[in-house]
Amino acid sequence: MTTLNSVGHPSPRIDALKRVSGAATYTGDIRLPGMLYARVLRSPHAHARIRRIDVSKARALDGVKAILTRENCDVVWGSGDTRNKRYLFNNPVRFAGDAVAAVAAVDRHTAEEATRLIEVEYETLPFVLDPEDALKDGAPEIQPGGNLSPNNQGQRQPEVLRRGSIEEGLRAADHVFEDHYTSSHINNAQLEPRVSIAQWEGGRLTVYASTQGISNCHTEIARDLELDAKNVRVVCQFMGGGFGNKNQCHDFDLMAAMLAKQTGAPVKLEFTRKEDYVAVHGRWPTKQYYKVGVRNNGTLTAIQLRGYSGMGPYRKGTGGIAGIEIYQCPHVERTVHPVLTNMAVSANLRGPDYPQGVFGLESLMDDIAYSLKIDPVEFRLKNMTRKFNDQTPYTSIGLEDCIRRGAEAFEWKKRWHAIPGVGDRPAKRGAGMAMGSFFSSLGRSSAVIDVDSRGMYHVHVGVTDIGTAAKTTMALIAAETLGVPLEKIDVIWGDTDRCPYSVGESGSRTTTHTGYAVVEAAKELKRQIAEKGMPRDNDVLTATANTNPTVPGMARYSFVAHFAEVEVDTDLGHVRLVKYVAAHDSGRVVNPLTATSQVKGGATMGIGMALHEGLLYDRASGVPLNAGYYGARVMTHRDAPEIEVLWVETEDAYGPYGAKTLGEPTIIPSVAAVANAIYNAIGKRVKDLPITRDKILGVLA
Amino acid sequence: MSRISRRRFFEGTGAGIVATAVPVKGQQPARPAVPRTTIQITVNGARQKLEVEDRWTLVEALRDHLGLTGAKIGCDRGECGACTVLLDGKPVYSCSQLAVWADGRSVETVEGLARDGRLDPLQEAFIEHDGPQCGFCTSGQLMSAKALLNRNSHPTADEVRAAMTGNICRCSNYNRYVESVLAAAAAPATTASAAARRKA
Repeated sequence: MTTLNSVGHPSPRIDALKRVSGAATYTGDIRLPGMLYARVLRSPHAHARIRRIDVSKARALDGVKAILTRENCDVVWGSGDTRNKRYLFNNPVRFAGDAVAAVAAVDRHTAEEATRLIEVEYETLPFVLDPEDALKDGAPEIQPGGNLSPNNQGQRQPEVLRRGSIEEGLRAADHVFEDHYTSSHINNAQLEPRVSIAQWEGGRLTVYASTQGISNCHTEIARDLELDAKNVRVVCQFMGGGFGNKNQCHDFDLMAAMLAKQTGAPVKLEFTRKEDYVAVHGRWPTKQYYKVGVRNNGTLTAIQLRGYSGMGPYRKGTGGIAGIEIYQCPHVERTVHPVLTNMAVSANLRGPDYPQGVFGLESLMDDIAYSLKIDPVEFRLKNMTRKFNDQTPYTSIGLEDCIRRGAEAFEWKKRWHAIPGVGDRPAKRGAGMAMGSFFSSLGRSSAVIDVDSRGMYHVHVGVTDIGTAAKTTMALIAAETLGVPLEKIDVIWGDTDRCPYSVGESGSRTTTHTGYAVVEAAKELKRQIAEKGMPRDNDVLTATANTNPTVPGMARYSFVAHFAEVEVDTDLGHVRLVKYVAAHDSGRVVNPLTATSQVKGGATMGIGMALHEGLLYDRASGVPLNAGYYGARVMTHRDAPEIEVLWVETEDAYGPYGAKTLGEPTIIPSVAAVANAIYNAIGKRVKDLPITRDKILGVLA
Repeated sequence: MSRISRRRFFEGTGAGIVATAVPVKGQQPARPAVPRTTIQITVNGARQKLEVEDRWTLVEALRDHLGLTGAKIGCDRGECGACTVLLDGKPVYSCSQLAVWADGRSVETVEGLARDGRLDPLQEAFIEHDGPQCGFCTSGQLMSAKALLNRNSHPTADEVRAAMTGNICRCSNYNRYVESVLAAAAAPATTASAAARRKA
């Protein structure tokens, strides 16, 4: 791999100074003159019809300026449900946390007080939390037409992937293994609570949003409020994380806009942390039933998955259960049912379809390897994908190197026990590994670069930089292509009035989509400079690029293998991470400093998903019990092990300088690697996430 | 300060979703006069006189009324640490302190870390070692780290983790934060060249 001048060198973030000095302006930091504060009243019931809402006492409270309910606001939030109509305020309410009213007042205390004065008469309805129960005869109907959410073709059928013949594959097997696994609803839990500020100037609306994608947010606000796109501006300068829950316009953006319209003043709508946990969305909980056929020599003949994903009452995400694509296997059948329930809504969280699916599949593959007395590492090397779905060649694949080099760095042979659970000491150690892949897409994006007579290059890109260092990545790519030092690059971002379209920071696409547009715009600018010379005086040269590259007949994926060693206290059920190695093929790494941080973060989040996190529900009332950081037990400084990161930089002919995708692959195999390490330590398999102390003590009892 | 327990305090101000739907019968909607108190606080070395509503938290007073938005509200219930500031030199969750309790006391926020145009060594290290990802928890991490180094100038990695465990980072960049604090502790002082490069 050739060495480059800017790309590939560790570079501190170009906006790091603002991030360490309190000067970075996040949406919640913005105060506009005359600004009102808004709060939302939510349903305490999992499923109920609203008989009556009386807002008179709330309206009479000094300082209250406007109250929205279904009676005076019938705005449909298009992205809130891609199958059914989801209003900002729904009747019936379909989960504990569904919005009932929003109040704008002179300050947040008054707004909060006013929500308590709204009287709501509910008629409670039967509810269902479990996705399999929701498909049974007689289950409460959550949306018209049934609880199985339609597939991509609009049919009320599960999503099916089929290759070969599952019957034939199972017949060809020497052994057939069957097992089932479950995973929990996990909140994105980004540190910045949801907030939106809306301001009207005449007929033009500005929304200071907290969004991962200003372009999507812009288009969707215009669509839902029936405004001309030119009359909407979306601004997001700094964003306190999202991990997939702010790709689009959200209900709070629309509520703030409606309240601002009614009151004629700017309105800041703030969510509490509890609302963030119950009323935005989290990772979909799943139930997974596998059947896998294998020959005596360890070759896979068949993989069958029947899965159920609980989507909450509104269909906002795919509900997919991924993982099968990391194995080479001639006969595959995957049937996944995205099901409506009365739990909190489920949608994207870092690698939406992946870590839970990889947990189930990699747990079973691990068991199969042990049963056949094959080292789990060798089992993966034997059966790992070589072509996508056994058909399409990859543009580049470093999976084997990730496994081999990762195992070596981890000292797999030393840490892994051929007999799981060996030893009689209360503290037992064990090692586990798992692998994964993630679509490294190319696609539509735009960039504008201009250069002035001082030799400063202004790179306009529609990114927000949610913590991924996207601004720095764009600057490094521009500096590389233009052949100028990083200091000569000025990035303009996060404002739809000043930046062209970008896909937004979702699907780990910013580097590959928008980075590619930056390369093309920079090349065009260089061509102009070569032709006309550098601009003089007040002149500028401007280059634009609207790119939509494709990969002919090949699949472009990133690959990953993670290795974990744990120590399990078999008296207390406590799990401590002892060693962790993450090996990644993301093509060329644009910025090793920030990319390494992303891997460390993603793997650590996965450890939290494996060991602690999950939204618990009271089955009698349908109300969530542990919303919030303490209750959900997200990872802390004390829990986080040192994550060793190893780069397998494959040469890839596509994407900006051969960069593939990174943000989401980081979490994909981590949950399974930890689960497999626990099995290796104690010799018993916990099949339901999270693997909490009580479950460990349960399987050991 | 102990007259109101934290639990009672949160029950009074938090908008629990169950509680919000059940208004108290016969409650008078007319807004009672909100009690206000004038307090004197020293913020980042400057004495301030401020009239506060008694129900304001310290972080509200700092953010909404003194324009110091470096401290963030991540949970507003004492769980995440994004609002950490130093109160008389000790790290506190400023969402869990009433502004009136700070009367006569001294508060340091992230905005006060840089002195005379020079970044604190911790800020330098956070930049070089890529401490912040999204950056929303960073101010709190910095203030907890500052309090630690003030009382223990050469902590071990475990001591850093213990001191900062009340500061959640959902980007989970914990390795980098610990690395940054250890680097800052190891740095003899901010080098002149580094300070010149990054005028605060």
